[in-house]
Parts: sequence; C-alpha cells; structure tokens
Amino acid sequence: MDGIHPPGPAARGLAWATALYLVLPILIVLPVALTDQRFLSLPQDGVSFRHFETVLTSPEWLGSIWQSFTIAVAATVLSVVAGTLCAIGCWRISRRATELVRVLMLLPLIIPSIVYAIGLYRYFGPLGLLDRFAGVVIAHGVTGIPYVVITVSTALAAFDPRLEQAARGMGASLSQTLRWVILPRIAPGIVSGAIFAFIHSWDELVMVLFIASRNVFTLPRRIWDGINENLDPAMAAVAVLLILFTTGLLMADRALRRRSEGG
Amino acid sequence: MSAAGHALGILGLTKRYGSFTAVDDVSLDVGQGEFLTLLGPSGSGKTTILMAVAGFVAPTAGSILLDGREITPLPPEKRNFGMVFQGYALFPHMSVAENVAFPLRVRGLSRADREAKVRAALDLVQLGAFAERLPKQLSGGQQQRVALARALVFEPNLLLLDEPLSALDKKLRAELQEELKALHRRVGRTFVNVTHDQEEALSLSDRIAILNHGRLIQAGAPGELYERPRTRFVADFLGKSNFIEGAVATADAAGFVLAAGTARIAVRAPAAPEGTRRLLSLRPEKIALLAGEEAADNVVEGRILAWSYLGSGFALRVETASLGELRATLPAWQAAFAPAEGLPVRLGWSAEAAVPVEEDAP
Amino acid sequence: MTAAGRPGIGWWLLILPALVLLLVFYVAPILQVLAISVTEPEPGLGNYERIFTSESVQRVILTTLRICLITTVLALLLGYAIAYAITLATPRARGWWILAVLVPLWISVLVRAFAWVTLLRRQGLVNNTLINAGMISEPLPLVWNEFGIVVGMVHYMVPFAVLPMLASMREIDPRLLAAARGLGASRGQVFRQVFLPLSMPGVIAAAVLVFIFSLGFYITPAILGGGKTLMVAEWISLQILDLIRWGLGTMMATMLIVAILVTLAVFSRLVDLRRIFGSGA
Repeated sequence: MDGIHPPGPAARGLAWATALYLVLPILIVLPVALTDQRFLSLPQDGVSFRHFETVLTSPEWLGSIWQSFTIAVAATVLSVVAGTLCAIGCWRISRRATELVRVLMLLPLIIPSIVYAIGLYRYFGPLGLLDRFAGVVIAHGVTGIPYVVITVSTALAAFDPRLEQAARGMGASLSQTLRWVILPRIAPGIVSGAIFAFIHSWDELVMVLFIASRNVFTLPRRIWDGINENLDPAMAAVAVLLILFTTGLLMADRALRRRSEGG
Repeated sequence: MSAAGHALGILGLTKRYGSFTAVDDVSLDVGQGEFLTLLGPSGSGKTTILMAVAGFVAPTAGSILLDGREITPLPPEKRNFGMVFQGYALFPHMSVAENVAFPLRVRGLSRADREAKVRAALDLVQLGAFAERLPKQLSGGQQQRVALARALVFEPNLLLLDEPLSALDKKLRAELQEELKALHRRVGRTFVNVTHDQEEALSLSDRIAILNHGRLIQAGAPGELYERPRTRFVADFLGKSNFIEGAVATADAAGFVLAAGTARIAVRAPAAPEGTRRLLSLRPEKIALLAGEEAADNVVEGRILAWSYLGSGFALRVETASLGELRATLPAWQAAFAPAEGLPVRLGWSAEAAVPVEEDAP
Repeated sequence: MTAAGRPGIGWWLLILPALVLLLVFYVAPILQVLAISVTEPEPGLGNYERIFTSESVQRVILTTLRICLITTVLALLLGYAIAYAITLATPRARGWWILAVLVPLWISVLVRAFAWVTLLRRQGLVNNTLINAGMISEPLPLVWNEFGIVVGMVHYMVPFAVLPMLASMREIDPRLLAAARGLGASRGQVFRQVFLPLSMPGVIAAAVLVFIFSLGFYITPAILGGGKTLMVAEWISLQILDLIRWGLGTMMATMLIVAILVTLAVFSRLVDLRRIFGSGA
C-alpha cells in the first residue's frame, strides 16, 4: 500500500517482535557453530572453524550429503517432468474435465507425511523398494509433483493462449508448440518448481525414517540421529551449511523471478 | 499471383455452447482472391465463425470447404491458413525474424530458405530494418505488420484476420487500412477479416457479411449493402438511418406511395400491394435542405430541434409536423445558412433515396 | 469464446505420467493404510472402538487438539501482525519483511528444531544467560514439554499463516483506509471497522491451513517434546515402528485424514485451497 497509511506503534512492535522470533533462532546456530568449545555453546575465547572441518572431513557426513544430493536431483527430475507436463495438460484441457486431477495434485500437500510414510513402509516391502535409492527417489519425486504443478500453473496463467493457437495455426505440431513456444515462456516457473521440489526432497525426513535404514542414510536422517543422540557443535556446523545452501537456492529463485518479471 | 487465391465455402455452419447458439446455420462463399469481412456487433458470432474456419472451434453442425474439398475434421496445423490474431499473439521470447521464421521452421525448411523468405516477408511490410528487435520493442502498428508478415510468409491458402486493427488508435488505423488493402492487392490471396468497425469493413472489403445473434443477415459488396440494406438492423448498423413506417397507399409500375403519419412519400421500388405495411430507411445525407420554392419528389417542413457542426458539414435534428423527428446531414458548402434552434426549414429527398427494408426477425 | 479449442488426445497424454505416478505411488499406499485399519489384527471396527475405550488413545487425541488450537491461535496473532506490516510497508521495506517470512519457511525443519533445542535446553543459551545474569538460580523447563513444542510449532507455522492473510490483505484497496481516515476515523477505528473485516477471509484460510498442518506434524513435536508429550504423528510412529501394532497405527492415521478432510469440507466455502498454495509457492 506504498506506505500511505503506516501501521501504528502497537502493530509495528508486534510485527518486529515476530520477525525477530522468526529469524533470530535460526541465526543463533552461526555463533554456536563457530564455538571453540567441545559442547554446544557460544564461543568463549575465540572463533574456531574446527567443527566445520569435522563435518567436511567426515566420510559419514559427506556420504550422507552426497546421497541426499543425488536423491534430490533424481527426485527433482521426476517431479519436474511429470509436474510440468501435467500442468500444461490441465491448462489446455478445460477446468471441469481436469478438476479431479487438480484435487489429486493437492493431496500430498494436505495429507501429513506420517500417513504416507507408514503406507509406503508396507507398500514398498513386497516391491523390494525399502532402503533403496529408487524407493526414496520415487517417494520424494511423487510428493514433489504438486510444487511443480503449482509454479508451472502460475506461469501458465500468465501465458496468452493465443500464442499456442498462433503456433498451431501456422502448422506447428503439439511437440513443436511445446518445445518452441510454451516451454521457453514458462521456463522460469519450471525452474522455480524445480527449486522447491529439490528443497522438498533435500529436507525430507519423515518418509526416510520409514522407508530407509542402512543403505540409504540421507542428510536429514543423520541430523535426526545427531539431535537425538549427541548434541555437539558439529551439528550446528551442519545446520549453518544447510541454511546457507537453502538461502542460496531461494536467492537464485528470487533473482530468476525478478528477471522474468523485468524482462 | 492470383493463382494463389483459394475459394472458401461455409455450409450450414452451426456452433452451440450448451443451450447458447453462437452461430446459427450460416452459409457463405468466399471467392478466390476475395477480401471478405465478417461484420457484426460483439456476440454476433463473427469470431466463432473465423475460429471454426481456422480449426480452433469444432462446429456443432455444418462444414468448411476449401476449393470444394471438405476440411472440417482437419486440425488447425494441417489447414495451412495464415492468421493474424487480435492483439497479434507475437511470441515475446523471439525476435521479429524468429517470429516470422516460425511457420517455416515447423515446416522443416533449411536455414538459408528461411532467411530468404523471412527477408522477403519483412520487406513486404517494410520492416526489414527491425528483424532483430523483440516484439515489445516495436510500436503497435509495427507489431501488427510483423503479425501480417508471419501470417503470409508460408504462402497460406487463406489469410484470416481477427480484429487486426482494433488495438490501434484512430489515425494509425486509417493508415494501416490503406496498407492492408494494398497488401491484399499485391499478394492476391483470399482474406477473411473480422471486425465490429463498420468504416473499416466498408473501406477494406470486396464483400461484407453482416451478422447478428449468430445469424447471417446480408452479404454483399459494401456499396450494395449501404445502398440497399435488406433489414432495419443492416441499415442501422452500417451507417446512420431514419426509419419511416407506413402503409402503401397507391402503387404503380414505377413504385408506390407510402402513407406515413400525415405525409405521402413517393418511393421508387418494386411495387407492393395496397394497404401492406412497409418500413423505409432514409440515409441522413440523402436529405437536402430546400431553398425557397425549390421542389423535390418528397418535401416536408419542420423546425430545427438541435444541430452540431461536423467540420465537413452540419448534422441537424429536425422536428417535422408530418413525420416526427428526422436526422439530416448537410455538406458545409450547401449550408449557406446559419443553423439555429427553432429555425423553420424545408427538407426534401428523391424517390430513390428512401429504400424499403424488412423488420428484424425476432 | 476464442480460447475454447478442441484439445486432442495429445493433451491428455501429457497428464498421464503424473496421474499414474500419483495413483500408483501415492493414492494406493494411502488406501492400503485405510484398509489395514479395518483388517488388522482382525477384520472389523475393533481398532476404532479404542477411541472410546482406551484412555491413552483419548489422551493423545486431546493433547494433539489442545496443542494445535494453541498453536493456531498464536500463529494467527503473530502472522497477522507481520502480514499487516507487510501490507502497509513501503515497497522497499516490503521486500525485507517478506524475506523474513520466506527464509524461515524454507529452512529445514530439522535445523529449526535443533536451533530451539540449543536455545531452550537446561544448559541452553537462554537458561545460561538468565543464570549468569542472576535472574534465576535453577534452569527453567523450557523444552521437552508442551511449552517447547508450542514454541517450535508456532515458529514453523507463522509463515504459513502469513501467506494467505497477506494475499487477502493485498486485495484491500488502500484508498479505503485513506478514505476512512479522511472521514474522521481514528487509526484504531480504521483497523477494526475497515481493515479487519476485509481481511477476515485470509484469517479464516490461514486458520484452516495452520490447523490441518499442525494436526499431523511430526518432527518438531518429536524433537522438542522429548518423548514425554506425545502428539498423534509421533504416537502413530511409535505404534508402527516400536510396538508393531499396525491396526492401531493405521486407525489413528485414518482418523487424522478424516479430521483434516472434515475441517477442509466445513471451510471449503470460505477457503480456496488452490489459491492458498498458489500464493505459498
């Protein structure tokens, strides 16, 4: 509202307090990660990077990071391909005919992952997908589809349907229209969806707790064990790395949106 | 190039959306190389007809023929029709040249062939210097010409234009009308245009089809439609008109005399049986201001109710004793008088000026 | 009428991969959960009887509902303050406020729970600071109880409360507020009589969203509850992983789905879910 009617002092105070409540606890892990002590605390005599060193030289942590990364990449590919095609299809076919599909796409966002996780635990057993890379990729990929559908649908809402008609009218086939007209226009939406699908998989813990045990030990799983067993500053170092990584991805997304809006 | 023109046939075309009938049994032929305009108010079904011809709308009934061959079931990309969309639908992520090259690219033409044709097409619309610009860097008129070049570059069987000039301001529209007309003559293809702008339709078209409520009301050359409107709607929509209603008093071989109010109006038209009710359309510019004792086939007297100056002339609203209110437009050179409210005037028109029209079907 | 074309079979094929994936790998496992709840250990509604007979089942349901309600109320209050500030902020300040909401939203829930443990545990930063300052002599019990759970959950839910409220506040025409001031209303009157009523759709949407997300929340309550305060999700996990009581676990999971769908159905007239998620992404 462009500051025409600024909020009063009470509202402003509560808003500031809330913003601090949201941000400060996250920032607190930074000094804790830099502590020179062996236990979780603020730095006493100086700043030290040894806990970062511990994490970045530990084969367990690195192994989990790599595993989480590859799973997230594979799951993102699955989500992006299925989600993008689905969003385009729903966009082009009438609203009423695809209502069921759209509702279906919302289920993974609404139904708690604990319910899905116990379901998968039983479902994957006979399929031999428990504790398998493929199993986790499928679980994360399928639940990531809605994020892509939403961002791509948003991008498509701004897409002029006459461009598609123009392309078809000039003789372009469905796949030519997709590749040359629709996809380049909605690319920012797809990248946005990919970023969210990636973060979704990268952070996902509940499903992994049920469908993975030893062979697949993702980063969130290792953090979970760390919090429950030994609270040491190395955990804080991991937390800092994760915060930087997520923030970086979000900034990339923001920059991308700004560019596509500006251009 | 006239061999490039194809004939389009529309046969009994009907489109219903649920209980709403957008197009109601329209049949129309467009000759080779003809410039046909579908004219009507919004909701008259003109755009739906164009979309059915293009293949974007599946007709509920009827068929579309190209040179007598049925093309109704073909998808749009198989029809080889060029189309200029309302708002142009230029691809915003492609340069002007890439936009124009698009239809050639989808047809698998080699790069060299594409470049040559694109250059020729851009030269045709005088945009050769703008090939590398993005659409948003062009003015509205330039974008419109890119859309034209893109629609013509692949030598389409037919060029379809959906309100091609509606997004432009009035002056530019007049300029582009001229250009579009010249382009049509140059390429010799069959053009089908959709508009709600009657001036545009009159100045551009070889033939106009007037639509209302999904039905074809009348089709013909612009002059024919203007001079001989078939119904009240056509007379009213295409230009302005006075309407005079009455009963045939006497009739002979040359025409009839209509009794309207206390007036007797001579009409030169095919005779009608005495006593039948007829409706006349009388264009305001066909009414003349009579001086002194000057005579005419029909003369009425009245007083000026209101007047306005148009630059090229005057528009008068005259309250007559016998026919009620009449509208007349007078060329400025003829109006050697100073109009004023309440001024008594004599108006006259020839027996050919008023033409009988039908009441609109409900 | 121009946009309505005739979508061919090709467009339906585009939907197929996502549809098949979702049906085979999402809907089927969940239907299986519903099925297990009425077939194990023996066919029938025996598991559901436990809602009326088992005190521990009742306790976990009541605890969950209580925490969810407290969380929803607090998240709405704090979220409203932020959304209000964002709506009225200058465009430049708005970007920073939104960042303060979005960054926590996307930071791993584990990282956030870990941060709260660091702050709130017995030897945590808050207790140490207070003891060193001489304000308390014994550490306060700030975590591994219901208080800790609520602190962590509200922290997680505030961004989800902000987004729908923000969307609805942005639709309020700023000239209305200026007009109300011009007509002689005080700042408080403008808020109570113009802004608040106009923002209610967003508040209701936020309440529904936060409540249904809270119901099935697992990680934060598990970490900050320390196993002493059990909410539904952790209880389900306990039944399945530790006690191998599939019937009971799936019964509770089914109840969770039912509770969420009923909440949505009741409010579906007031809340357009697709819009909430659309603005959240």
